[in-house]
Amino acid sequence: MSAPLQVYEPFRAGLPPLGRYWKSLWARRTFISQYSKSELREQHFDSVFGQLWLVLNPLLLSAVYFLLIVIIGGSSDSTRYGHLTASLFLFYLVSNSLTGGVKSVTAGQRLILNTAFPRIMLPISATIIALFKFLPTLLVFLVMRTIIGLPFGWEMLWAIPVFFITMLFALGVAITISCVNVYFRDITSFLPYLTRTLLYLSPILYEASSLSPKLRALEIFNPLFPILDSWSKAVVHSQVPETSSMLQGLAWALGIFLVGTYFFLSREREFAVRL
Amino acid sequence: MPSVSNTPLVTNEVAVSVRNLGLTYTTAIDRRPTLKARLKSLGGKQTRTIRALDDVNLDIEYGQVLGVIGTNGAGKSSLMRVIAGILPPSQGRVEVYGSVSTLLALGVGFNPAMSGRDNVLLGGLAAGMSRDEIEQHFDEIADFSELGEAIDSPMRSYSSGMYARLAFSVAATVRPDILIVDEALSTGDAKFKEKSLNRIKELRSEDRALILVSHAMRTLRETCNDIAWLHKGKLVQRGEPNTVIDAYQEFLHLGKSAVVDEDL
Repeated sequence: MSAPLQVYEPFRAGLPPLGRYWKSLWARRTFISQYSKSELREQHFDSVFGQLWLVLNPLLLSAVYFLLIVIIGGSSDSTRYGHLTASLFLFYLVSNSLTGGVKSVTAGQRLILNTAFPRIMLPISATIIALFKFLPTLLVFLVMRTIIGLPFGWEMLWAIPVFFITMLFALGVAITISCVNVYFRDITSFLPYLTRTLLYLSPILYEASSLSPKLRALEIFNPLFPILDSWSKAVVHSQVPETSSMLQGLAWALGIFLVGTYFFLSREREFAVRL
Repeated sequence: MPSVSNTPLVTNEVAVSVRNLGLTYTTAIDRRPTLKARLKSLGGKQTRTIRALDDVNLDIEYGQVLGVIGTNGAGKSSLMRVIAGILPPSQGRVEVYGSVSTLLALGVGFNPAMSGRDNVLLGGLAAGMSRDEIEQHFDEIADFSELGEAIDSPMRSYSSGMYARLAFSVAATVRPDILIVDEALSTGDAKFKEKSLNRIKELRSEDRALILVSHAMRTLRETCNDIAWLHKGKLVQRGEPNTVIDAYQEFLHLGKSAVVDEDL
């Protein structure tokens, strides 16, 4: 019999064999796409009104915030509104990934207790779901920026690397938080405060350039700061983002992704007894 | 190793080899692990160690139908999970030659908000099957489970019997090299029980190993050609079904009363 041989032995602390892990993960990529699809369908995002809500929700939110800015800060222009909307949409990509990721492992309890598979598929699916929710909003923004007459230019292509940095960051936080939630279930209750704080500390309601240099020195502690700043520069102002911002964002994203993945992979084999 | 094998089916080709297997884990005493609980218990030890399996040696050959018996908490499900690669062992070594169907009791249906169809598809994909493979089997699964239209409604609307029927149908249709059925036999109504029992008998073949975990002694006597008795994480006895089951029932001080023999 040419049956495949599997050997199970006590594992040492640290990472599982990465080559084998990756192969097993790659073989299950259809799970990730199918899971995202089913999940979106279950949340009714495959219907017209569901998609409409997906776009309306952040659009209404940006309208509310815009009103707030106009009332508090006096007059405002269309660029400001464009900045607010574009930043808010990207922020929601990260925030959806975070809120979807936090319960991804604990909600998959039945599957984890009964099937052997790379557990990291679950937070990855959460990020993919957040991505699918992000895509229609991107389209809306493109239409909107044409209407309000923001400048077009090849510099906008800088949004592509910024987008990939954001995805890496979103994936990193989803993986990290899903692992943390296995050990500290009450982290879910802290999450709304965390995302709200991030929202106000990031250049969304204001532009990064309008901050005093003293405050800007603190930005290195907020991973979203350089990412959102670069994003706004590219898609709203059609300017080349600062290299230092991009590198700083990349460093944060890569750092969180690597640390989170390390923790997840070295812990995931005991998830079955922790759930 | 006590040798068994009375039926000509057994080929002496090893399917699963378990050597000096030990499994321990620490669990929190708290019901839910939270940050609050962790902070409150700083300094004090709030966990206890459970020894689920202790030096278990077990060989399962192709063609064997192994019944695993034991009281609740004997380590039966833990042993199955180690063989399926879900729980890593703490000591010892487990070798598995072939594909294992890891659909243990109530394995499917991890997301109750999704339909039975989606859950079967996702469960199969997670187990490493291809979409084609699952779709090929899907009609058979739906037929066997007799769920009818319910297969497309969310699983939270299912009764526990329907859950179990779907789980069993998936496990019995996929035809892996090694099939583990953990307590899924004794669920469902009498008609489905009969049907699943017949399916198990059909599945016995020389290129497949079956492992049945059950408390239904009569079923085990009828279907198995080998029984392993676990107690408190240790393998107590292994051998010919009637002998081991008699000893087990003797141990329970219950004798061969009808109640024990009945599928409970």
